[in-house]
Amino acid sequence: MLKKIAQGLALAAALSLPTAVQAADTLKIGYSIAKTGLFSQAAPSQVNAYDLWAEQVNAAGGLDVAGVKHPIELVWYDDESDPVKSAQIYERLISDDKVDLLLAPWGTPHHLNVAGVVEQHGFPMVGNTAGSVAIREVEPGNIWFPTAVLPDRIGPALADMLAAHGVKSVSIIANVLPFSQENLQFLVPALEKANIEIKMNESYPPDIKDMTPLLTQMKSADADAVIALTYPSDAFLYTGQAKELGIKTPYQFLLIGPTIAAYKDAFGPVADGIITLGHWTPKQKDWPRAQPFFDAYVAKYGSAPDYLDSALAYMSCEILQQAVAKAGLDHDKLREVISNDTFDTINGPVKFKGVENIITPSAFLQIQKGDMELVWPKSIATADLIKR
Amino acid sequence: MTKASMTHTPIPAIAATLIGAILIVSLSIFMGSYWTVVALNLFMWIALTQSWSLFSGMTGYISLGHVVAYGIGAYLVATTFKIIPLWLSIPLGGLAAGVFALIVAIPVLRVRGPYFVILTFGLAELVKFILLYTETTFGKSSRLLFGAPKTETLLYWVAALAVVATLITYFVGRSRFGKGLAAVREDETAAETVGVPVTRLKVLAFAASAVIPGMVGGLMTMRSTYFDVLQVFNPTISFSIVTMAIIGGAGDARGPILGALFMLGLAELLWSTAPQLYFILLGLFLIGFVLFAPNGMIGLIKRRKRSSAGVAS
Repeated sequence: MLKKIAQGLALAAALSLPTAVQAADTLKIGYSIAKTGLFSQAAPSQVNAYDLWAEQVNAAGGLDVAGVKHPIELVWYDDESDPVKSAQIYERLISDDKVDLLLAPWGTPHHLNVAGVVEQHGFPMVGNTAGSVAIREVEPGNIWFPTAVLPDRIGPALADMLAAHGVKSVSIIANVLPFSQENLQFLVPALEKANIEIKMNESYPPDIKDMTPLLTQMKSADADAVIALTYPSDAFLYTGQAKELGIKTPYQFLLIGPTIAAYKDAFGPVADGIITLGHWTPKQKDWPRAQPFFDAYVAKYGSAPDYLDSALAYMSCEILQQAVAKAGLDHDKLREVISNDTFDTINGPVKFKGVENIITPSAFLQIQKGDMELVWPKSIATADLIKR
Repeated sequence: MTKASMTHTPIPAIAATLIGAILIVSLSIFMGSYWTVVALNLFMWIALTQSWSLFSGMTGYISLGHVVAYGIGAYLVATTFKIIPLWLSIPLGGLAAGVFALIVAIPVLRVRGPYFVILTFGLAELVKFILLYTETTFGKSSRLLFGAPKTETLLYWVAALAVVATLITYFVGRSRFGKGLAAVREDETAAETVGVPVTRLKVLAFAASAVIPGMVGGLMTMRSTYFDVLQVFNPTISFSIVTMAIIGGAGDARGPILGALFMLGLAELLWSTAPQLYFILLGLFLIGFVLFAPNGMIGLIKRRKRSSAGVAS
């Protein structure tokens, strides 16, 4: 019986190889993604950026590996939005599929589950869509995070921006999920330090279907600004119900959601003036690679990229591409180059110290006449913050 | 394994279980790190489904919230990681899950049928959200667990727990205690009337069925470098346990092993190439077993043996 099981499992492995025949010098680049499950709505922003990058690389003759170009092929599996499954998939990509390079999965829990696998195998991977102070606890050397979306930097930056625009009071509502709560943890002391009064601070469940009681309370609190620490689905809920209830607070910040193209498509002019988290826009002329990426994305998919996830995913590919061009595929050399070099990305230069990108600042975007403008900090801003 | 439990002496059953576990462990380590993880998952599901079977399979009270024990064990181990040693925190995780089950047993076991199913599911969700709220209140929305034991080490421990869970189900099934639980399943009122201490038996089985899942939860959270409450209280874990028990057959120690082997085998064949087909097939098998083989694969095997014995005679 055991022999049959072993044969069955071996057969399963053979059958499930994604590509039976490959060109001799084709490089396999693997990742897992939430094709189904809770995060499946968020994942296409990242996958689209990966596919676009692979297409561009192959169109240019292949990936430059220390001077020799190789065509690339993306190998991916559905992790069903399960971070533990994601770790198992990376184990398979490395030890069974023997991929040449890795790209990152979607979301903080997935990154941090995979961190243990890449550490165990000493396989370098550039991360992207993870945003938690916990990333600093990851042993540097095998995983890097180009994101500037780190709660202990966002809280003080948001307080500074609001204080600079004369905001004296805020109402806060927050999803109970980890990213929102981590932001809340750093935001409250930053607001207190900036002498901004917190008139309301309420958390709500992740699957909230009706925000009316919260928004009614918020309306009567009548603060100068609203800070809604949302995930994508509740960002949509907030915007729709805030409109119905006539909330006209001049500054309204939503944590995650408004950078997705579907948000602007759904709300049109109602979304104008909404502030959100993000450190990239094609409108920043100091980043010459930004607009071509935007144009190529729109040409391929017919809609704008997610200003957060698509941009981060593409940045991670650019970093990997530049590192491989210099170091080749040797893990030790790659590790050294990624750890020490400065990379030219659609978001400007990126350099890592430990696991963290130390150049890109935590920043905020505002929807202005349908465009995404960087409004804070001043060093990278493309427009001034305006009242709704 | 199959023949063993049909005989009266337990030695062949014990030997078969041990040899089977040792063979799978050795083979998976020989085949490489990915297969070590597959074997780890296999033993995890066997241990969880056996524990579920110990209570739900034997009494007929279908629990849809078994993940609560897994989650409590995982939570205890994750929150005490690097504060107390694992050799202590893992058993404490099992103990905490057992004590929790003991405390809630009396009110929970007052209801039966669909009410019990819904109540157990709701209870697991309640504990999940209480702990999620507690974590976020103390600013601990997630935890990183670097420096955990290697996968091979975890495999040894989880395999050992799967063996223990299998033997417990096997021996309880043969014992007076098991006969009492079977009496509860067949007709609780009649059993009580003839003097079976049904409440005591149910409470004991309910609490005992939580201990091993608590320990498994603690060990499996070490497998992942990241801990958050939603991950370890994921209701899918409860659904998978019930699915494996239905397909394999509950109330017999061989059922959960067959169920776990079947589901993991199917998953390994299909998840990478046709994940949607996996879920479609799983749904079809589930419907098929419920309609045509309510006692699962083990029921089919027994039926076949009976009919061939009938033909022979």
